[in-house]
Amino acid sequence: MLMFDAVTKRFGPLTALDRCTFTACPGRLTGFLGPNGAGKTTAMRAVFGLVELDAGTVRWRGRPVRAADRARFGYMPEERGLYPRMRVRDQLVYMGQLSGRGAKDVTRSVDAWLERLGLAGRAADRLDRLSHGNQQRVQLIAALVNEPDLLVLDEPFSGLDPIAMGAMSDLLSGLAAKGATVLFSSHQLDLVEDLCQDVVIIEQGRIVLAGELKDLRAAVPERFIDIRYQGAAPDWSLLAPATLIEANDGRARLRVGSGGDVAAVLTTLQDSADIVSFTYQPPTLSELFCEAVAA
Amino acid sequence: MTGMRQAWLVARREMNERGRSPAFRASVLLMMAAVAAMLILPTLFKPGVKDVGLTGPAPPALAATIGQQARAEGTTARIHRYASLAAGERAVRQGHLDVLLTSARRLEWKGQEDQQLKAIVTTAIQLVTVRERATAAGISPAALAALLAPVPVTSVELGAVAGRSPGDETAVVVMTGVLFFCISVFGAMVLNGVLEEKASRVVEVLLARIPARTLLAGKIVGIGLLGLAQIGAIVLAALVAVTTVRSIDVPAVRGTVLAWVLIWFVLGYALYATAYGALGSLGSRAEDAQSVAGPVTAVLVAAYFAVFAMIAQPTSTLARAVSFFPLTAPMAMPGRIAMGATAWWEPVAAAFLTLAATAGLVLLAGRIYTSAILHSGPALSLKDAWRTTITRAAGTATQADAHATKTHLAKIRPRTGGSTTMTTDSTRRRLLVTVLTGIGVALGVVVALLTSDVIVGVIAGAGFIAVATQMVNLWTRHSGPPVAHH
Repeated sequence: MLMFDAVTKRFGPLTALDRCTFTACPGRLTGFLGPNGAGKTTAMRAVFGLVELDAGTVRWRGRPVRAADRARFGYMPEERGLYPRMRVRDQLVYMGQLSGRGAKDVTRSVDAWLERLGLAGRAADRLDRLSHGNQQRVQLIAALVNEPDLLVLDEPFSGLDPIAMGAMSDLLSGLAAKGATVLFSSHQLDLVEDLCQDVVIIEQGRIVLAGELKDLRAAVPERFIDIRYQGAAPDWSLLAPATLIEANDGRARLRVGSGGDVAAVLTTLQDSADIVSFTYQPPTLSELFCEAVAA
Repeated sequence: MTGMRQAWLVARREMNERGRSPAFRASVLLMMAAVAAMLILPTLFKPGVKDVGLTGPAPPALAATIGQQARAEGTTARIHRYASLAAGERAVRQGHLDVLLTSARRLEWKGQEDQQLKAIVTTAIQLVTVRERATAAGISPAALAALLAPVPVTSVELGAVAGRSPGDETAVVVMTGVLFFCISVFGAMVLNGVLEEKASRVVEVLLARIPARTLLAGKIVGIGLLGLAQIGAIVLAALVAVTTVRSIDVPAVRGTVLAWVLIWFVLGYALYATAYGALGSLGSRAEDAQSVAGPVTAVLVAAYFAVFAMIAQPTSTLARAVSFFPLTAPMAMPGRIAMGATAWWEPVAAAFLTLAATAGLVLLAGRIYTSAILHSGPALSLKDAWRTTITRAAGTATQADAHATKTHLAKIRPRTGGSTTMTTDSTRRRLLVTVLTGIGVALGVVVALLTSDVIVGVIAGAGFIAVATQMVNLWTRHSGPPVAHH
């Protein structure tokens, strides 16, 4: 388990991380969310000792992270980078060796990953001869060559086409299923909602929300009603305690405070319009996020 | 040790990737060929035999006397006789003859006259004529031989130092030049390597695996070994060429001197490559190389010229000082050793001084490098890199360390960048530059008085001012917190 324990980092007058505390658990995908400049990259760098902390500790399996632990960590930085003129296989083997693995051993897993991601034919090419998408794949393999127990990925989905996104999602889920701890940042909240079991939301260096997504959604007292209707719109003003958020083109979304009488709302709706569907749900991750960040 | 293993992996990558490049291989082969050619070619063109043509009436003893004179000068003269002037001149024009002697009175050349051959032939004519006249005057051949017996005159090239010739001085100049060249070239490789890793952003991927100091050390060692291999290949080519043609005979180039040259290359390279690596981390793109490394290059060039000033007086106090000062020692000491101007302990002591300076520099450079290497955006000032530590050097992040950093960071004054701070900063900078210029002028005057040489004084003063202002510029490049990422 990866644990941030009151981690603080200041850059001059700016506090990039302010007593950040959260965990990421093995076998699960943890989405790390926050607006630009909130401190995500600094936090991820802290895991690898790339920033010197002013206070607090990053712990792995209960102890402060040591160099030996990092040999089993994988990292994909936001600013992708490898040696442009080095051959793909040489480069990946080199990265694996730097993490302490033997040449033969690491060559085997590099070849397996290249095969799996459809790059086996490009192994002897220079990196800069590859397309952007393929360079991204090589970058991902560079984070995976040491068979990491902890995988930290900064914006792994940025710049990917829909097919590559699907493949990346499957790959990350597969790694988590095998017991790896996976922490990644993203701005694609729908995707995180589908993929992650846990989320951490950071804003201006502070953790504003962290935990299991299911619990976080359930903990919010408000519920949301999504309806579809045919013909004329119902009279929204009659629907108290529900309030309208948005309505257009035969769809509407309503908010109900805790303890609101949902059955009464449904009855009123059915009286005033031709309702096709009705769902009653906790907030989406997007709503959670906007709420948490605005607070 | 994993640190050693990682550093070796980095070094091996540098050697493999650079050694594999066709440009590098071609340059090594070219340099080997150039050195061998420089040593072999002059011996091929060395004129050993002179062809002298005779036409018209000539004293019978002349041909033999020309031969004797040529032997006395260390060459061989072949005599050819021509029936007519026209035939002889044709032979000269076609290059079969070096000179045509007509009627023992007139020398005809194809182009410019050969001074040595001219002396040989004219002396022979004088001798033969004098003998003929002596016989006519009734002087016996024995008496004539006694009259003409040559007085032995030896000629020696003293050079500037006893026991060393101008040839040795030339050898030292070449040797120092080669050292300067190698240290500059391989230092620049380290500089560019550091910048490339920053520009391609691969450095963050690397630093997630290994400490920054290990990365820098591995890079310096790898490029250094590659440099040694390159120098070794060139020396090998030179040795093969020399043993093939036996054309070089310079006492300054002996085994012990060459061994010291290698040692001083390693020391000088380690010193300057460390500085280059640290300053390279301040830039962000390949274009920043010249501006961030300016001071090191300036010091290196200044050191090279300082060495030139002392080659002629290797035992002077100035020469002694220059050969002990760590920044100049790597280029100055080998020259003094080659000129036989050192006691046995001097190079050893200077080597330890340079090693100590390098060790100090490694600590400084490690700190600058680890601070600056993850910074991106405009080139960083040395002051920012020194004061703020962004990157961790070693593997562990303990709370004790974190605490130490906290107190360190607390000392940094907040840089809010208001207009007042900016003005004070630039005023302070102008003041500093003025003071440094004053010191430079004073230094120049003192040096000029001490050495009673105005030019040396001007060089010393101007050099100091140049290096000092470069350092000030680097130190205060821009004012702002050095970090752009969160």
